[in-house]
Amino acid sequence: MTEIKHHAYLFDATRCIDCRACMVACSVENNIDMDKTRIWVAGLGITGTFPDLQRGTMVYHCMHCEHPDCMSACPVGAYTKAEDGPVTYNPDLCIGCRYCMNACPFGVPHFDYDKGIIDGAFIDKCTFCPQRIYNGQEPACVQTCPTDALEYGDRDELIAKAHERIAAHPDKYIQHVYGEHENGGTSYLIISHVPFADLGLPDLPETPVNEVSEKVMAMTIPFALSWGAVLSGVAAGVNLYNKNKEEAEKKAEETK
Amino acid sequence: MTKTISRRDFLKISAAGAGALALGQMLPAKVAQAARAAGHINAEGDGFVHSMCEMCVWRCGLIAKVVDGRVVKLDGNPEHPHSRGNLCPRGQSGLMNTYDPDRVLTPLIRVGKRGEGKFRQASWEEALDLVASKMTEIKNKYGAEAMVFSSTHNLSQPLFENLLYAFGSPNYGTQRSLCFNAMIVANTMTYGMEEPGRIYDDKLKYILLTGRNLLEAISTSETHDLITAIDRGAKVVYLDPRYTKTASKATEWLPIKPGNDLAFHLALLNIIIGEKLYNRSFVEKNTIGFDELKKEVARYTPEWASPLTGIPAETITRIAHEFADAAPHALAHNGWRTSNFVNSFHTQRAITILNALMGNWGVVLTEAGSEESGALGAPPQPAYPRISALRLDGVPWKYPVVPFKIGVFQELRDNIVKGDPYNAHGWFISRQNPIQSLPDRGKTIEAFGKLDFIVTVDIVLNDTAWFSDVVLPEASYLERYDPLLPVGDKVFLRQPVIEPQGEAKSALWIYKQLGERLGLGDYFQYEDEEDYIRQQLKPLGVTLEDVKAKGYAEAPEAAHGGESGELTWNTPSGKIELFSDTLAKVGFSGVPTWDEPPQPAEGQFFLLTGKIATSTQFGTQNNQLLHKYSEEPRMWMNAQTAAELGLATDDWVEVTSEVGQIHTQLLATQAIRPDCVYMTPGYGHLSKGLKTAYGVGASDSAVHVTYTDPISGGQALSQTFVTVKKA
Amino acid sequence: MKLDITLPKFLRIGILPSVLIALMGIAFVTAMARYAFGIGAISDLSYSYPWGFWISFDLFTGVVISSGGFLMAGLVYILGIKEFQPLLRPSVLTAFLGYIMVAIALLVDLGQPLRIWYMMIHWNHTSVLLEIGICVMLYLTVLAIEFAPVVLESFPKLHNIAHLIHKFIMPFVILGVVLSTLHQSSLGSLLLIQPTKLHPLWWTPILPIMFFTSAISVGMAMIILESSLSSRYFQRGLETHLLEKIAKGLPIALGVYALLKFGELAVAGELDLLFTSGIMSVLFWAEILIGVVTPIVWFSIQKNRTSNNALLTGAIIVLVGMILNRFNVSWFAVKHPDPLFYMPTFMGNVDYFPTFPEVAVSIGIFAAGIMAFGLIAKYFPVFEDELPAAAHAGD
Ligand SMILES: Nc1nc2c(c(=O)[nH]1)N[C@H]1C(S)=C(S)[C@@H](COP(=O)(O)OP(=O)(O)OC[C@H]3O[C@@H](n4cnc5c(=O)[nH]c(N)nc54)[C@H](O)[C@@H]3O)O[C@H]1N2
Ligand SMILES: Nc1nc2c(c(=O)[nH]1)N[C@H]1C(S)=C(S)[C@@H](COP(=O)(O)OP(=O)(O)OC[C@H]3O[C@@H](n4cnc5c(=O)[nH]c(N)nc54)[C@H](O)[C@@H]3O)O[C@H]1N2
Ligand code: SF4
Ligand code: SF4
Ligand code: SF4
Ligand code: SF4
Ligand code: SF4
Ligand SMILES: [Mo]
Repeated sequence: MTEIKHHAYLFDATRCIDCRACMVACSVENNIDMDKTRIWVAGLGITGTFPDLQRGTMVYHCMHCEHPDCMSACPVGAYTKAEDGPVTYNPDLCIGCRYCMNACPFGVPHFDYDKGIIDGAFIDKCTFCPQRIYNGQEPACVQTCPTDALEYGDRDELIAKAHERIAAHPDKYIQHVYGEHENGGTSYLIISHVPFADLGLPDLPETPVNEVSEKVMAMTIPFALSWGAVLSGVAAGVNLYNKNKEEAEKKAEETK
Repeated sequence: MTKTISRRDFLKISAAGAGALALGQMLPAKVAQAARAAGHINAEGDGFVHSMCEMCVWRCGLIAKVVDGRVVKLDGNPEHPHSRGNLCPRGQSGLMNTYDPDRVLTPLIRVGKRGEGKFRQASWEEALDLVASKMTEIKNKYGAEAMVFSSTHNLSQPLFENLLYAFGSPNYGTQRSLCFNAMIVANTMTYGMEEPGRIYDDKLKYILLTGRNLLEAISTSETHDLITAIDRGAKVVYLDPRYTKTASKATEWLPIKPGNDLAFHLALLNIIIGEKLYNRSFVEKNTIGFDELKKEVARYTPEWASPLTGIPAETITRIAHEFADAAPHALAHNGWRTSNFVNSFHTQRAITILNALMGNWGVVLTEAGSEESGALGAPPQPAYPRISALRLDGVPWKYPVVPFKIGVFQELRDNIVKGDPYNAHGWFISRQNPIQSLPDRGKTIEAFGKLDFIVTVDIVLNDTAWFSDVVLPEASYLERYDPLLPVGDKVFLRQPVIEPQGEAKSALWIYKQLGERLGLGDYFQYEDEEDYIRQQLKPLGVTLEDVKAKGYAEAPEAAHGGESGELTWNTPSGKIELFSDTLAKVGFSGVPTWDEPPQPAEGQFFLLTGKIATSTQFGTQNNQLLHKYSEEPRMWMNAQTAAELGLATDDWVEVTSEVGQIHTQLLATQAIRPDCVYMTPGYGHLSKGLKTAYGVGASDSAVHVTYTDPISGGQALSQTFVTVKKA
Repeated sequence: MKLDITLPKFLRIGILPSVLIALMGIAFVTAMARYAFGIGAISDLSYSYPWGFWISFDLFTGVVISSGGFLMAGLVYILGIKEFQPLLRPSVLTAFLGYIMVAIALLVDLGQPLRIWYMMIHWNHTSVLLEIGICVMLYLTVLAIEFAPVVLESFPKLHNIAHLIHKFIMPFVILGVVLSTLHQSSLGSLLLIQPTKLHPLWWTPILPIMFFTSAISVGMAMIILESSLSSRYFQRGLETHLLEKIAKGLPIALGVYALLKFGELAVAGELDLLFTSGIMSVLFWAEILIGVVTPIVWFSIQKNRTSNNALLTGAIIVLVGMILNRFNVSWFAVKHPDPLFYMPTFMGNVDYFPTFPEVAVSIGIFAAGIMAFGLIAKYFPVFEDELPAAAHAGD
């Protein structure tokens, strides 16, 4: 395997057979509870009318965004984006507010709704299998895929590969590599024969969804300081005015 | 597709049973001594062990990760040609079969009524003594033939066969007549081999799949080959009344009318021969019976086939042309479980012959390496006793061309019920679930009722074990040794990753113990499992330790094929037999011929069956991981048809055939012909010993009517017609 | 025979308090179940709906209806409009209790309630929620300080402290207004990160400004509501002349808000959505017609500003509309990515509808708030405008 500067996946929907080996592999590798999963197969819909039918399958897990919204949203900084790709989550910091779930445009983070305070209810999501990728193995989901619909490698190389595939079969693929730019770029790249919306992927701009809120947040302190100053000024002014008025009134009374 | 409220409720219930534990919380610790001795596992109980999957018959190579003496992960072994580093979902979930909380871990002896599920635990001594004494009693009273044996393909099967042949019974039921008898017998009659290997190289341009749902009925490496071929731009034409996942990836899907694949293929032969599109030099040199074939297929024009198949004549003609243009880089895939109708043998012959005519031998087809490598050794053993009793399954007196070791299982069952030509009294079953896998479940249970003694070797209380008198727990495939598996120029090893849990034992051990108790010890001349494998390895000059380390040993492939470059076949004529004298002599047509399949009456549907990726047959529905990722089984019906009948998705329906009735939920979908319904096999278990699977779905076997192809002996599963109404 | 069900005197409580206690009891039991078995055990929240009724009602509604506190503090202290003094204490108390209720609700909603204080030490400065958390915590402290004199005055020995607080109240009031401005508007910012999930009729980069503007209107309505209600319950005179002034201001505040709302849609070129978004259009118009248009008209009528009943009615109309807005923004108009055509169904609901226990928790907390208000008002001089301590000094 070539040296990987930026870990990424490429999912080719034309190859995926919805066998769910990746799901089983992830659950076993990461010891996921029997009633949970970090990865799921979406968009299993059959469209069309017999016999003109089409089917698209999408394997969905964390996109490992370049500008993760989960990370931007988390009040206590439980998320980390590694320089080489993976977005990870630290349960030791999490307060369980589930804002990250709201923030993630892909609906990726999941929460332990079934745990009380003794077990502790946490967030879970795909970790990119650091225990594997930093030990020379592919992520569990990728490694097992019987059709190589899921591949793993360096982001730039996978983007190049995705474009090559599309160029080689322009009749087959939608002319777009999802995740190359969406939401500011993701480390999970997708090519498909059916529209991405049919695979359940949101239509996202090239700017990450956290852009506006981060800008607003950056204005908070300056705004608070100026607003405080304005209010103090007003208060002082009013106070002065009232005092003057009172004195004036007093004087008026005295002079009466 | 649709919201599945019921599924959610159902999962809530089952989740309550299973608990929301992660896998790791379920695994009891067990250190594998053998693996530790081999140095795979360190003092902490951590390491990697190479072995082989047994979640289906494909047997992919795997590498098991062990932590603290527990298997925590399986990965595909990149060096194994069947897995190439990948595992399918069943293979991935394999450790959950091993750690299934419902595993049977001690021998069980029935105490309640049959089928009541009341057992008591027993020691191996007691259980084996009981089995041996019952078998001996039956043999002494009624003859060895009164004892029936059956088992489904697995690595210890040669030892199982040892047991039955040494015991002296001719009655052997294998899964093959339930599976691909039509294909094997057709290939044997044509090429003189059971199944040629298929070559998916870069040049392969055209693949014709007849009901081989390779993208759901997975064989890891071949599934990968097919997807890669499609990706490369090979054209795939797929015949199936259902829009399966294979259909969705195929270049062209032809929703053929069930049972009429024969007409389609005869029409292809008609064009290819009529328009002289075949490879003349190959046909002249390597085949016999071309003229008879030509004469026969002359009447099967595409126009004739069109109304039968529901495929336009032009399409059939076009496909014949395309196939011929692509030849020899064109493959007509035989398919596996193509026992759909009583005419399936001819369908298979037509497919096989189509390949032969195109001269694609050596290009897309090749002689497949046998699983019994000539290069391996074996313990010495005496000759088997001569058996004179007739077989209950009618081979060969009723099924003259069905090979002995394959048999006609459903006929065996029918004749147990009939007591014809004699009564059977005992049944020894290993690694098989005939209560579910044979058609007409009620009849199989009836057959059980005729018997004095039934013993089953399994790893869980499957339905068959549930109805047995003694259950012998085998160690799971991650806990045991099995005989070696030759693949290409290597032999692969299955070795224990962990120690067997409870009292479970390997089949090698169980059969030897029984053999000795039956006075047949000479047929089991090995000390233990390792000794058996050492004897197998002897001619190769490799030590078991070497094999354990790598998981395989190099073994020169037994030479086959003519050295001179001349192709020869193991048929009576030494050629590819387009016309088979053997068939003609026993009164069958020597060339494929049209045999009209029966039609459902007004208001009836063809009942189709077929695999899904997340289960194997009838034995993995209790695997909690697979259960977790499978959809709730529902009966497919074409959405328009359903609407006409006033039925909607999730409605409960009553499905009735000649032999049975079931209730199941409906899935209204576009993905099936209007004249068909489909059910996923393997649900509706009877055994309450399968806590995860019990109560889920309904059994198609309960409504399947037993039909048998008179030539190959294969069961005809799509020939069952059912009525459907709101329950 | 007639059953004698007369209770001993000390056990006799009024109907309202007993209902409140019952509601609190139900909520308490429900909350215990949640702590034992998880949020999923009592709610319909799911992977697709991480936030539901609790957030919309307890957080979004709870915070906005507590806006009377900062409004009054600002009017009285900063703008020096002393005549509103009589409304100050009840407003501050309502706000104080309101925020405590928010905090309690959060302790039910958070997965790790015992870690709520982590927000004080682990800071992710891009998180709007962090800002809200910190502001609310600080503001609670400010409110406690603002309200403290009321309590302290009841204890003669603590008068000095009360006086001290009085003396240095100004910086706290200013801090309180700043904090309120921040978090009232930040509740809107919370949704800025959902441009793809929140319907475009509501999502706009100026959501924080919208939230602040509407919070002012809600604050005014709350002051009217609370004064009328408590005057009824505690049988004291209503400061109608004061409320009339507030009622006069309401159409202006609402007008500004309406301008912002429609102006933003016009600038974004999304005016067509007003009529083309189906149920979303209906929801939008509902909140505008109820919460903005009707009250503008209502309070523009002089007669309505002087009638006690009309004041109360008008305030309620404003609140209903604005609360609908908060529900729309945080729930009804939020569309999470569909768990698509297939998702393992054990993973949760495609549709969310609050369960009875979920609502019961919120109602119980609300009941506790009312109860607390009643008790405090009964035992402490909430409705006195002068230091009562002075009056009773001789006792
Ligand atoms: N995941 C998984 N993989 C498996 C197995 C498993 O259990 N699970 N089992 C293994 C075994 S033992 C076998 S034999 C193979 C079987 O693999 P396949 O040969 O692919 O067999 P099935 O899935 O039983 O059936 C294939 C298709 O035949 C269609 N069919 C039914 N009637 C007709 C007909 O009249 N004409 C045509 N053209 N099609 C028809 C059905 O709709 C179904 O989609 O799979 C192997 N692989
Ligand atoms: N309705 C319907 N009927 C069918 C089919 C269909 O598609 N639909 N398919 C047909 C086909 S293709 C086939 S091949 C047959 C298969 O028919 P069977 O071979 O009867 O069915 P399996 O489910 O493979 O049975 C395997 C049994 O082995 C047990 N087992 C698993 N692992 C071990 C082990 O390590 N040791 C032992 N001793 N036991 C073990 C399992 O618990 C299970 O009970 O069914 C056929 N029948
Ligand atoms: S997909 Fe969601 S969870 Fe994953 S990195 Fe992006 S925002 Fe975070
Ligand atoms: S739930 Fe945990 S990880 Fe998610 S935003 Fe809240 S604190 Fe952060
Ligand atoms: S990368 Fe690892 S954690 Fe993520 S989905 Fe794949 S297997 Fe699961
Ligand atoms: S393992 Fe591969 S083919 Fe199977 S569902 Fe996952 S991505 Fe698709
Ligand atoms: S195809 Fe799947 S189940 Fe069969 S041997 Fe391979 S991994 Fe195991
Ligand atoms: Mo099979």
